[in-house]
Amino acid sequence: MEATNGQTKAGDWQNFERILLPPIRDLHTLDVYEAEYDGYQAIQKVLKEWEPGEVINEVKQANIRGRGGAAFNAGLKWSFMPPKGDRPRYLACNADESEPGTYKDRQLMEYNPHLMFEGILLANYAMEMDACYVYVRGEYADWITHMERELEKLYQKGYVGENIFGSDFSTDIILHKGAGAYICGEETSLMNSLEGKRGYPRIKPPFPAQKGLWDSPTTINNVETLAHVTLVMRHGADWFSAIGAPTHPGSTIYGISGHVNRPGAYEYPTGMLITDLIEKVCGGMRDGKKLKAVVPGGSSVPPLHVDMVDGVTMDADSLREAGSMMGTGGMLVLNEDTDMVTYLRRVNHFYQHESCGQCTPCREGTGWLEAIVTRIDEGEGNLRDLDLLIDLCDQMEGRTICAFADAAAWPVRYTIERFREDFEAKCKPAVFDTGGVTISA
Amino acid sequence: MSEFDIKKPVVALPDMDPEPQIPEEELFFTEEELERIAGFTEKYPTNRSAVMPALWLAQEKFGFLPPEVMKLVAEALDMPYAQVYGAATFYTQYYKKQMGTYVLDVCCSFSCQACGSYDVLDYLEEKLGIHAGETTEDGRFTIQEVECLGSCGTAPMLQVTNGPYVHNLTKEKLDELITDLRNDKMPPFTSVTLPQDEDEMGGNRRSDVEHTDTYRTPPAPERWI
Repeated sequence: MEATNGQTKAGDWQNFERILLPPIRDLHTLDVYEAEYDGYQAIQKVLKEWEPGEVINEVKQANIRGRGGAAFNAGLKWSFMPPKGDRPRYLACNADESEPGTYKDRQLMEYNPHLMFEGILLANYAMEMDACYVYVRGEYADWITHMERELEKLYQKGYVGENIFGSDFSTDIILHKGAGAYICGEETSLMNSLEGKRGYPRIKPPFPAQKGLWDSPTTINNVETLAHVTLVMRHGADWFSAIGAPTHPGSTIYGISGHVNRPGAYEYPTGMLITDLIEKVCGGMRDGKKLKAVVPGGSSVPPLHVDMVDGVTMDADSLREAGSMMGTGGMLVLNEDTDMVTYLRRVNHFYQHESCGQCTPCREGTGWLEAIVTRIDEGEGNLRDLDLLIDLCDQMEGRTICAFADAAAWPVRYTIERFREDFEAKCKPAVFDTGGVTISA
Repeated sequence: MSEFDIKKPVVALPDMDPEPQIPEEELFFTEEELERIAGFTEKYPTNRSAVMPALWLAQEKFGFLPPEVMKLVAEALDMPYAQVYGAATFYTQYYKKQMGTYVLDVCCSFSCQACGSYDVLDYLEEKLGIHAGETTEDGRFTIQEVECLGSCGTAPMLQVTNGPYVHNLTKEKLDELITDLRNDKMPPFTSVTLPQDEDEMGGNRRSDVEHTDTYRTPPAPERWI
């Protein structure tokens, strides 16, 4: 495969050749991955010619922004690992994709799992890890079975395990099946879950790099991030950072859902215009309706009002300026018929259901958010309830162990701010007794 | 030490010594199952980590996880029952009570909600004569409203008993599914073709799957919530 393949800016997306999910039949099998996609070449080259520290630097230079939601430079995260000591070291691959609206990692697990496995081996070599635990959500049972089959082949061929590819480097990959808990996608909660405990997030510090899985140094990366590591080590950091948005390079899988004609998971460079994604990639809005709102990166990110969408591109910086976040790139498109109160009510129900219950502001707060928005949705709310909701958000944000409470509060805060007319239309008008004269506000 | 006498617990306290639901003669792991559990523990530095795979194994065997099964898992892993109980009750996919043979988990998170998942739920409730969270009298079906299953592009969708996904639901598709399940025919694994594969490769790229589906224009919902 030529080194120029896929090197496309977002403006030229029509000519983009996919790099994560290239059009190769049966790419998910080891044979095809090796024969037709230069599979496991990068790791062999790296094992022979590269020092672990050099791999970290290369990945850092490529500026892979973490694809799990935080968009943090993956190489920089790797460099936080302390020098190798007596303790074992672990990588955890976060495949607990549970954010509503997100289904991109599943496409990789279904169509190109070896790209992830090779990325894991590269990461394990770079950080001198003893093992990688891939935490896959329990609902993806079928995909776990498929991946187990492929992983078995890797062990048989000596690509994983003792002295991989005849080198003196040994490492393991273990698939772990979750059992249905959104919070386990939070990195410290994922670690507790792997240790067999309730999936309660831990207080940071100590950070996972100091004290992670079984109190050993640990790094946690998303599936798509690790898949990109393979591509970076195959083609070089410069090749990678020339794709897509300059500050958020690479391609990404946009999982688009909602009121569009052709929803689906599309791989394109980062930095695509939201309007292009809706109008050109997804064939426009269903039934020719008008756009009302876009939730660009999963349920936790602030929704964008249609007036805010023009010119906004799908990368961390552009979206932050526009008042939202890249999140996971799972984009929900809503049309003019959508009632944002009902939308918010369901989002709140999700957070109420998934709060782990460890911290009071979150456990109680998410319940109240749902209760109050439900009241408004049923026509029993008052205008002052909107202030009450904002006040509740103030009391939740930043006051808990993990960012779950923030993720629950942001949609409430910004949906009310940006779609206030929907809420006001459902609230009872405020009525003051002014001695015979009724004033409504 | 005297036991605490809590007169009005805010949350119902779990029954400390409930009536066993699995007959005693069936309540054991075979040699082969114990070996598999031992295999789980080898993958992790501590026994405790094997509790999730061991609970999955137990649920496949017994159908659900009443306290006596959790105790059995605790014994097999040589860990306290309280820790097994703690783990089992945290995760929603572990069934703590007896479920129907087929559990229909209808995803109702926002993408599915926006594409008619509550219509699906209504239709199933009507068809099976039960509410979400209940089991039919013949013990065949349970309906649950669940959170995002990670298949938002093929909304509305559901999952059957922690197993296969059924995508792009319509009334006809639901009728067919229920008929099949009444005849104990589980839906197959279905690979949803990527839209770009459809354009560039003319179909699904995987030759090892028998059933494929595509992304479609989702329906307009009649009811939102």
